[in-house]
Amino acid sequence: MCADLVKTICPFCGVGCGICLKVDEQGQLLSVEPQQNHPISQGKLCDKGWSTAYAINSDQRLTQPLKRINKSFYPISWQEALTTIADELTAIIDESGSQAVGVISSARASNEDNYAAQKFARAVLKTNNIDHCARICHSPTVAGLKQSLGSGAMTNSAKDILETDLMLVFGADPTENHSILGGHIMQAHAQGTELIVVDPRVTRLAKLTPMHLQLKLGSNIALINALLHVIIKEQWFDQRFVESRTQGFEQLAKHVKDITPESVESTTGVSAELIRTTARAYSHAKRAMIFYGMGITQYVSGTNNVISLANLALTCGHIGKAGTGVNPLRGQNNVQGACDMGCLPNVYPGYQAVAELENQEKFSKAWGTKVTQQAGLTSLGMTKAAQSGDFRALLLFGEDPVVTDPDQNHVQSSLKNLDLFVVAELTMTETAKLADIILPAASFAEKDGTFTNCERRVQKVNQAIAPLGEAKGDWQWLQALAKEMGSKLLNWQSSEDVFNEMAALTPPYQAMTYQKITDNSGLQWPCTNETPNGTTILHQQSFPIGRARFICVNQVDIDESTDDNYPLLLTTNRLHFHYGCGSMTRNSPLLERETPPGVLFINPIDAKALNINHQAPVSIKSRRGYVETRAMFSDDVPVGLVSMPYHFKEAPSNQLTNTAQDPVTKMPELKACAVVVAALAKDQVPKTIQQLQEGK
Amino acid sequence: MEIYHLDDLSLLQQHLLAQYQLYQVVKNDDKQCSWQQQTKERNEPLIAELPQSSAKDFFFAEHENLLIFNGEYFQETLPTPAPFVLFGILSCDLTAISYQDQFFKDDPYYQARRQQCLLVGLDCIKPCQQGFCPTVDAGPGVREHTADIILHPLENHQWLLISTNDKGTEAIKGLSLKTCHWHFLTQRDLTLHQCEQEFTDDSDITQAIDKLNNGEVSDSFWQQLAVQCLGCSGCTTLCPTCSCYGTRSITDESEDKKVITQQRFWDSCLYEGFQREASFHNPSAEAGKRVQRFWQHKFGNEFFAEFNRHGCVGCGRCEQTCPGVIGVHSVMKRINNNA
Amino acid sequence: MLSHIPDAIELVDYIDDGEQARHYQFRLVNINKPSEKNTNNNTAKHHWQDAQPGQFFMLNVPSIGEAAFTFTEPPNEQGEFRALIRQMGKLTTTLFTLPKGDILGARGPFGRGWPLEKINKKNIIIIAGGCGLAPLVNLIDSLIDNLTASQQLVLIYGAQNKQAQLLTTERERWQQHIKIYNSLDEINDQYTLVENESQGTPLDIVDIALATFIKPATTALLCGPEIMMNSAAKKLVDNGIASDDIFLAIERRMHCAIGLCGHCYLNERYVCKNGPTFSWQELQ
Ligand code: SF4
Ligand code: SF4
Ligand code: SF4
Ligand code: FES
Repeated sequence: MCADLVKTICPFCGVGCGICLKVDEQGQLLSVEPQQNHPISQGKLCDKGWSTAYAINSDQRLTQPLKRINKSFYPISWQEALTTIADELTAIIDESGSQAVGVISSARASNEDNYAAQKFARAVLKTNNIDHCARICHSPTVAGLKQSLGSGAMTNSAKDILETDLMLVFGADPTENHSILGGHIMQAHAQGTELIVVDPRVTRLAKLTPMHLQLKLGSNIALINALLHVIIKEQWFDQRFVESRTQGFEQLAKHVKDITPESVESTTGVSAELIRTTARAYSHAKRAMIFYGMGITQYVSGTNNVISLANLALTCGHIGKAGTGVNPLRGQNNVQGACDMGCLPNVYPGYQAVAELENQEKFSKAWGTKVTQQAGLTSLGMTKAAQSGDFRALLLFGEDPVVTDPDQNHVQSSLKNLDLFVVAELTMTETAKLADIILPAASFAEKDGTFTNCERRVQKVNQAIAPLGEAKGDWQWLQALAKEMGSKLLNWQSSEDVFNEMAALTPPYQAMTYQKITDNSGLQWPCTNETPNGTTILHQQSFPIGRARFICVNQVDIDESTDDNYPLLLTTNRLHFHYGCGSMTRNSPLLERETPPGVLFINPIDAKALNINHQAPVSIKSRRGYVETRAMFSDDVPVGLVSMPYHFKEAPSNQLTNTAQDPVTKMPELKACAVVVAALAKDQVPKTIQQLQEGK
Repeated sequence: MEIYHLDDLSLLQQHLLAQYQLYQVVKNDDKQCSWQQQTKERNEPLIAELPQSSAKDFFFAEHENLLIFNGEYFQETLPTPAPFVLFGILSCDLTAISYQDQFFKDDPYYQARRQQCLLVGLDCIKPCQQGFCPTVDAGPGVREHTADIILHPLENHQWLLISTNDKGTEAIKGLSLKTCHWHFLTQRDLTLHQCEQEFTDDSDITQAIDKLNNGEVSDSFWQQLAVQCLGCSGCTTLCPTCSCYGTRSITDESEDKKVITQQRFWDSCLYEGFQREASFHNPSAEAGKRVQRFWQHKFGNEFFAEFNRHGCVGCGRCEQTCPGVIGVHSVMKRINNNA
Repeated sequence: MLSHIPDAIELVDYIDDGEQARHYQFRLVNINKPSEKNTNNNTAKHHWQDAQPGQFFMLNVPSIGEAAFTFTEPPNEQGEFRALIRQMGKLTTTLFTLPKGDILGARGPFGRGWPLEKINKKNIIIIAGGCGLAPLVNLIDSLIDNLTASQQLVLIYGAQNKQAQLLTTERERWQQHIKIYNSLDEINDQYTLVENESQGTPLDIVDIALATFIKPATTALLCGPEIMMNSAAKKLVDNGIASDDIFLAIERRMHCAIGLCGHCYLNERYVCKNGPTFSWQELQ
């Protein structure tokens, strides 16, 4: 029977729902229930949240450090693990310098863990080679919104959904990826709030509204520019706002002058009429909110896509007020926090630029050690440098780039090339299999700390059970490793100590403490001495850069188009019942049952032409790779487009996806590549990628 | 049936604590209510509030082992709980237990726990937020056949204690109680009747039930409604009468022996894979079919005939927890307006 | 109380039949009757000798779980029984890798079999598709054994293609006593159809088959894909067979087989408990 109800935060996505862990007398995690009075989730959870106990209690959990000898792993003691890692790191730094080592932290880990990771990299290893996975989700958000508005986060809050008059959902599938927020959108829609969905696929939300702009893959900018054209031409823009709060409007007006809805009909596949209706609706709404997701960011034009959405909101003055804003829906539970904590090569905690001397001095002083001036590498940069042998040692936690990164094969061979590869993980992931040393990580239920959700709300995570076996929290083992390397810089007593050090150095977190966070059910940054109760809406009076900037951007076509050999376009999507690489959610027998391992969504018309049956085995090939999986008929994908979720290690979409990158953020174009699909023999069981590779 | 006057509730609690493990609904700092064990030391006030998680887990456990296989034969792993009492359980949840008692009549695991349990019901004298127990004959007053003992609050922290059966009488044996006049029962009826009047208008629900059973709800209505079902399993997890489960095998391999356990765990008919067969044939592949199934199970005449009541006990939990905004009130309203 | 606990069985033997299907022979390790009180943990817990045609059992592959199969031969005195099993999902894929002699589990017999009282001595048309013939094997054998002079039995058997046809030996054996029509969805160009074989689905031959009866068929037994059965049932009703004389064997995902887990629901019924055979009338 349940002896205790520990309230904490769901670890599965950026919504940050309130969850209670039910623990029995023996300290075992039994199951979960929602927090009834949580400000966002109010007694609801999605299927991932409800199956949390399966993920934590999985018999797949790693419980002791492992060392790889040839192809097998052998258990070793923590002491041996730490000594080995410390010795090798020191040797490599001595030989090749600090640029040859780096850390990739995790958007799943707590703020405390992420803060510790970047401090470890910068203060102990003396390198700015620190990154996390936001690169493949939302780095264009940070880059784009930073330029346009001066801050790269969701401008408004979840509660604004029930205060707005119109919701424009752009390249996002919130009911699948951020289910509880998606639920809010459905609720608002049911109560009469207008809903416009822009997506190449017929998403769940698209089924609820007549206003679905089913644009062609990668034609976002053309569409937005045409919307701007109409709004400006018809004088529907917010003149007062544009004049008092922005700069560069003239150029923008000139830039879109000739981009009529008619001129983009063929590029976007959206009728001029629908573009006009949308322009009218968005500009005329008293309050309108934009939501966007990876359908905006995961393109070579990702940063520019984000900028054009900002242009749209600024033109209509739909920002800085309740029920408005440009709102990125960020994937992982703490991707906002990992960015805030400075787990990016170019910024310290709180987005303080590494390149600025003043900031270098600030952190050198605070940490009591001189930080390096040398620029750092991104995660893709690190893997590239590993390929050439310039980068030699990597500590990675809570990530599975072998499954989630674009161009798997490249990632795999680079990681294999490392002299020292350490992975801290909950379970044996595909990436962990390549490690020299694996450290057993504690799950969120086993530690104290904070997560920052997509609406910038810093929430308290509370320990409910003891770490499984010898598992350790991330900052704890980083601390032990630092000690082993002779550094006392990570000598905190508690998670709260870590938080307090961080808050003192991170302006937006300045006025936060654990107690205040708990008392307020979370605090939204900036929470400073001027705004001690946090900030629900950004940019109300002014932008961090003074006036917001209109930046003219042009349509950039997707990098790889179809041809005779690769006649279909492949896009990637997520399924609501899985999360990331699936290493946690797939331990639930319920969620695992929901789909066979790997699926390809295909329009029945395309399928028929290719002689493919529903649920039949198929092969998919792109210029970079080949996988086998099962076809799932779906009218939700238009003819000519197929779609694949990326959660499945058996049939990873990233074998296929393109590595062409956004020039600004190096974000790969995961959302579009050309493929050819073929039916396999009827009774053939699709081979997993592991089988295919071994067969080679 | 025996009626007594109880001056001091704690006497009863202490008396029961001597023979049973005692569980009671407790409210935490976040105003969240849950069943928690009480002891001599931990002794919280009795509250008439519905916990988010019903009591069904006490009998039909969320996860439980059914058997183990040692390589040679299969062995049943029946639970052996100590006697326990659910103290102050509200009428809707009691009705649900009585419904499940019928359903799990021949299930050894359920019965092993159920047999050990004493049910002390508590009358509601104020409507709760989402509930509609009077509409489905499940409250607010405790139905006699659903509890062993019924508590009814009187003025001045006094209580009416009704023992409805031998189990109840046995449990209070040795406790000095004043029998009291039957007119207190009339008083109770009056109070409960008044409470019933205070519930909000339930015509949406009653009319929707009729429509449902008259075949007036079309397939396309269900399909449109089900677009909003995110398959979260919240409704089936919290619904006190939901009983579907899945099974799985867990292999525990140590150096010298291998033990295989078969486990059952709460499942949800709202999952797409619930009925999918190994051949991929899936009779309820359409979300509309699954959502329809849920409501048919709660309000369909066929089930009424079998259980002599609706499958829904009017607790309102599904309304509160459904992220797709298709809990009981929303669905019934939509059936009325659009079906 | 209902038993969730399987009896141990030995995997005695198997032989391949058609594409990815096998006849399995199992033997109950212990055939004590449940009534013979024995404190051993391995006493048989189920009434195996009561098995009726059309009933099923739950096969337990210990590391994987359970799934339902019908007997092609019910347990005999020695506790031996057979089942035809097609390789489909995880459980059967694992089963196909197990060696003879392995110990598995079984529970049963479960459900309501074919309604013998409504079948015996009747003129019967049987329509089966693919693996759907399995639940009928046992019944057809016993019907043939007891065939009366005036009674007629006709079987239509449909399969995807020649390789997918199952139970060839059995069909050859039956051929000597009853009329059998075979339909094949796909045939390749070189193939020439033999006697009583046609291209198409079983539905295409219903009229021909009905015409074979000297005295009209009054009873129908259907087993196979649900869509096929539904169309066939409608067609038979049109041809004058009463809807309570048409019987279908329904397949569903099953976990418990005793009406508790909920997976096998069909409207207000549970296929495991109220079925798996239903009259067409019951399903309306
Ligand atoms: S929506 Fe996100 S945070 Fe909420 S329960 Fe689901 S995964 Fe967890
Ligand atoms: S259907 Fe909803 S209101 Fe009815 S008993 Fe279940 S959870 Fe309660
Ligand atoms: S609670 Fe709502 S969304 Fe979740 S499974 Fe039930 S009906 Fe579907
Ligand atoms: S198989 Fe469990 S109810 Fe039928």
